Amino acid sequence: MKSELELRGVQQRFHARGVADGYVTAVDDVSFSLLASPPQIVSLVGQSGSGKSTIARNVLGLQKPTAGSVLYGGKDIFKLSRSEYDAYRRDVQPVFQDPYAIFNPFYRVDRVLWKAVKKFKLADTRAKGLQLIEESLQAVRLEPENVLGRYPHQLSGGQRQRIMLARVHMLRPSFIIADEPVSMLDAQVRRHFLDILLDFQREHGMTTLFITHDLSTVYYLGGEVMVITKGQIVERGPVATVMHEPTHPYTKLLLDSIPSPDPDQRWTTRIQVDELERLDDNTPVDATKPEAPII
Amino acid sequence: MRLLTAVLRTIRNSRRLATGLIVLAVLILVALFSPLIVKAIGGGQDPIELAAYDKWQVPSPQHLLGTDQFGRDVLAMVVKALSVSLQIGAIAGVISTVAGVIVAFVAGYKGGWIDNVLSTFTGILLVIPTFPLLIALSAYAKNVSLFQVGVMISIFSWPFAAKTIRSQVLSLRTRPYVDLARVSKARDIEIIVTELLPNLLPFIGVGFASSALGAIFGLVGLEIIGLGPGGVIDLGQIIFNAIGTGALTLGAWPMFVVPIALLTLLFAALNMVNIGLEEVYNPRLRGVAGE
Ligand SMILES: Nc1ncnc2c1ncn2[C@@H]1O[C@H](COP(=O)(O)OP(=O)(O)O)[C@@H](O)[C@H]1O
Ligand SMILES: [Mg+2]
Repeated sequence: MKSELELRGVQQRFHARGVADGYVTAVDDVSFSLLASPPQIVSLVGQSGSGKSTIARNVLGLQKPTAGSVLYGGKDIFKLSRSEYDAYRRDVQPVFQDPYAIFNPFYRVDRVLWKAVKKFKLADTRAKGLQLIEESLQAVRLEPENVLGRYPHQLSGGQRQRIMLARVHMLRPSFIIADEPVSMLDAQVRRHFLDILLDFQREHGMTTLFITHDLSTVYYLGGEVMVITKGQIVERGPVATVMHEPTHPYTKLLLDSIPSPDPDQRWTTRIQVDELERLDDNTPVDATKPEAPII
Repeated sequence: MRLLTAVLRTIRNSRRLATGLIVLAVLILVALFSPLIVKAIGGGQDPIELAAYDKWQVPSPQHLLGTDQFGRDVLAMVVKALSVSLQIGAIAGVISTVAGVIVAFVAGYKGGWIDNVLSTFTGILLVIPTFPLLIALSAYAKNVSLFQVGVMISIFSWPFAAKTIRSQVLSLRTRPYVDLARVSKARDIEIIVTELLPNLLPFIGVGFASSALGAIFGLVGLEIIGLGPGGVIDLGQIIFNAIGTGALTLGAWPMFVVPIALLTLLFAALNMVNIGLEEVYNPRLRGVAGE
């Protein structure tokens, strides 16, 4: 088992107009590593524009860094052999920010799940594939009959984002790269989503890089946290330590800017699922009614 | 199959699109069956042969649209000409759409210097005054065939298709679902065909319709100044004939009016398809109208 994902001196520059030297440095000499075992949750917190998404894209191999490297099992992800690449692709999976844009509007939502089954050869028959899909949907507390066969715009944001989690559940990667996965969900659905992530960590041993600009979700998840500003990681450590005794001025600023920075006030009670199903905007939108809300 | 249902769904959602397509379908059917129709009109002889009938007959039950200066049946000529006009539209439409789509996807998806080179080239073709060049080309190449004229017209019309589609590709290729496909091990070509292309179908349809329309009218233009391809009669040539012989003063008004009416109908139908597609292309609208 390749058990480590490491960023070593990653720098990402983009050409930009109207800037002094013609480029912006979105990620500036960032190094950290994620271990598959023990499974952990590492939050990356910073303001909008601090370079978080760019780091996610670097880690996912969607953007080649201009300097430094991303290593999977000790090897540069852009220099992997065929079989190593296949292992990396399956083992490092994303959950993106916008639960609507993640679906191609042309297809039913089932397609992303079937794609995973086919591309990663999860099942050799259609029946087994369907069984896997249904199991994974249930694992993220979705009723298969409520989502399968529907188009993205017919589901709520929470449902769509949980389909992404079902996809992750099917693939059982060691690493989840979650780029602001809850920023577009409302509070109740948000907690529901985070609980599933925590379940994945506990039950399936998945490590999550959780990117957010919201400190309350960092409190809720616990684990480790890294604070990023202007492309640089300025502080890192266990959540409790960083929140109680911030050392970097930027972290202090960040903590001061939220209304109730008391880490002990974090949500401790788990909400029951059946209770949540009512709170969740779970009822599928009846698309034939003209007054039906459209996302 | 899934594509077909999606297309049907799209059509059902727009009355304008449906009307345009029905009119177009009727015109195409007439064109497809034009040999049979012409034969039926002739009733054993060729109604488009020179001196098949008396010259300049006014409309009558035997010759619904009369005959022209050579004694040819005008209705038969119009039917045949419609099929020629549609052919040039199809030839130029297909060539420019295929060329435009390929260039647009390569440029838009690959980006970088490839995009720069292709876009510059497309841009140059776009600013060249098309019609004078077309005239020069046709005057230079005597006895061109219909197909060659189609190719010539395509040279100037594909950049329009390429330009619109490229900008769409640029906006689509950074969509998160493209990233998701990439982390699901989809290859570039697979992403282009399965993720981007279906969403671009309306734009491709618009590109095709515009190119076809451009070509049909381009040929009419060439015919009117007497530079059309040899050996074929298209709608423009009949109009040219009518103007040249003063058909209107001789009471042979259908020779002038009917081709123009058909061209107008074609123009309206293709434009309705264009507008309908643009209207329908919006996943939100799909939601309102049901699946
Ligand atoms: N493809 C790109 N081209 C140019 N600049 C980019 C690109 N992607 C990100 N940037 C810039 O990099 C910086 C960091 O962006 P991003 O990583 O999206 O931040 P965050 O996710 O923390 O909001 C921003 O200034 C942004 O404008
Ligand atoms: Mg971001």
